[in-house]
Amino acid sequence: MRRWLASLRRGLLLAVVAGYSLFPLYFITVQSLKTPEEDVFGSPFYVLRPTFENYTELFAGAAARVRGFVIVPRVPFLLWVMNSALVLALTLALTLGSGVLAAWALGRLRPPGWRWWRRALFATYVVPHTILFIPLYQVVLALGLDDHHGALILLYAAMALPFVVWLLSAYFRHLPREIEEAALIEGASPVTAFLRIVLPMSRNVLVAAGLFTVGTVGNDFMLASVFLLDPDKQTVAAGLGVMDVSLEELVAVAGVNVAAVPVALACALFARTYVEGLTAAMVEGA
Amino acid sequence: MTVPAACATDTGSRSGAVLRAAAPGARRARRREVLAAYGLLAPASLLVLGLLAYPVLWEGWISTTSLSAQGGAPTFVGLANYRRMAADPFFWRATLTTIVYFAATTGAKLVLGLAMALLLARPARGRALVFLAVFLPWAYPGGVTVVAWYWMLNPPLITSYSLAVGQLKHAVDAVLGPGAYAFASVALFNVWRGASFTAIFLLAALNAIPTELFEYAQLETRSPWLRLRHVTLPLLKPFLALAVFLSFTSAFADLANVWMLTGGRIVFPVLGTYAYWLGVRRGELAQAAAWSLALVPVLLAALLVLFRWFDPPEERQA
Repeated sequence: MRRWLASLRRGLLLAVVAGYSLFPLYFITVQSLKTPEEDVFGSPFYVLRPTFENYTELFAGAAARVRGFVIVPRVPFLLWVMNSALVLALTLALTLGSGVLAAWALGRLRPPGWRWWRRALFATYVVPHTILFIPLYQVVLALGLDDHHGALILLYAAMALPFVVWLLSAYFRHLPREIEEAALIEGASPVTAFLRIVLPMSRNVLVAAGLFTVGTVGNDFMLASVFLLDPDKQTVAAGLGVMDVSLEELVAVAGVNVAAVPVALACALFARTYVEGLTAAMVEGA
Repeated sequence: MTVPAACATDTGSRSGAVLRAAAPGARRARRREVLAAYGLLAPASLLVLGLLAYPVLWEGWISTTSLSAQGGAPTFVGLANYRRMAADPFFWRATLTTIVYFAATTGAKLVLGLAMALLLARPARGRALVFLAVFLPWAYPGGVTVVAWYWMLNPPLITSYSLAVGQLKHAVDAVLGPGAYAFASVALFNVWRGASFTAIFLLAALNAIPTELFEYAQLETRSPWLRLRHVTLPLLKPFLALAVFLSFTSAFADLANVWMLTGGRIVFPVLGTYAYWLGVRRGELAQAAAWSLALVPVLLAALLVLFRWFDPPEERQA
């Protein structure tokens, strides 16, 4: 009887946690499925006559036009999605590439002062990039990346790297040396041993670092909206932010869902690997 | 740390390390390894430090001048900007709000995150699905969810729903003072997203702790609270410290996002956003620089304390 009660309590708690986590997403989705009439007169918690109008509107076209009594602003949503994907992919490549190299140096080769180097890299996480606009903009101008995706890619990589390097170097530190030494004795070069033995073994922790980077990129709104001004170059976050809120509220909410679902699905797919990767880096301390 | 010393600790765990470290060939190999290490560190360090060093130094220098967009050649004014900032009652209110915001969101994220992690760590039916549900708030890109979240709490159109929210807003503001609702809505968004990250992070940490330790604890006491206080929390300490630190940065990022999204309409004074407003909107660049940097020494001090917990100085022998 007591066991039964305990498991009931646990089940209830789990249900509460799931409900709390999912409610805002449910709420967004309900709103995005509404017609303007139901938005005004209906209940916010459910939708009686769902419509996909807000979603199709996103892809309706890139030219401004009249719909009903309002002029619908130009929403090149497909372009925004493609821009976001491009920025995300290049940021991932840059972050993981430079992160793995630095983490190998700090976790395995350990040059003198490696501990302080690792701490210094991590400490940069403290400085919020979002308050350094003016000088950051000077750097972006000096690099010739004004209104260019490259500016965002560099900034995002710099924002994700402190944690990524920390995580990967913690993992490499605990990886038994015997593994690559065996390959070295077989006659492989250090580079081959790293690429063929160590990297495939580190799959989980690389996924964890990658997902963290995705989270960093996905979380930014401020930098994207400041550094990308041309509507054709904007990412989804920057684009939705400048949409005329009062007129096209529901379309923008639908846009949120369209942009977020693929990312969330990819994350869900790798969620287990993400935890395993973090765990692998955490065994025997951070 | 000198090279031979590093060499000794480095190879200490290997068999025959002493012999190999003594050979001159090994020393040359080690020197090559160190050089390679610096080479490998270069790209990431350039990105992180290079992109940050110039802006921070620039802000530091500017904060000691009279630079402003209103024109006039900037002159060196020493600490005048900082003195003006400290004399501004608004500064102390903003500092207080910032501290309350950081403390409240971080506390809530830790408690909620730890509770969810402990719940998910024990096997139960449906756990895999709940795990995914807990993961979603963080996985759902915050840069776009902030749009939806903000409109949920501050609906822009007049609908039946926005009337209800409006009443709620007035009720909250009436009890807690003006701006309380805006504060709460940003804090809620940050806690919802951040607790998800913290929960998954701590779940991973719990998985990394050998189960025997928990089993011994089970033998020692039947009280789950005592076990939590004397076993689980001490074991999790480094990861809790790391989570606190990561929470700080996300708290600021979320705030900046909402603030930017609303075009600065959510105004409860917080150091970073006020600095942006001063600099970009009013052109008082030097004053803005002082405001921007006000928080950095505090955060660095916090980080030095936290390092003691999650990166203890004495080398752990593997």
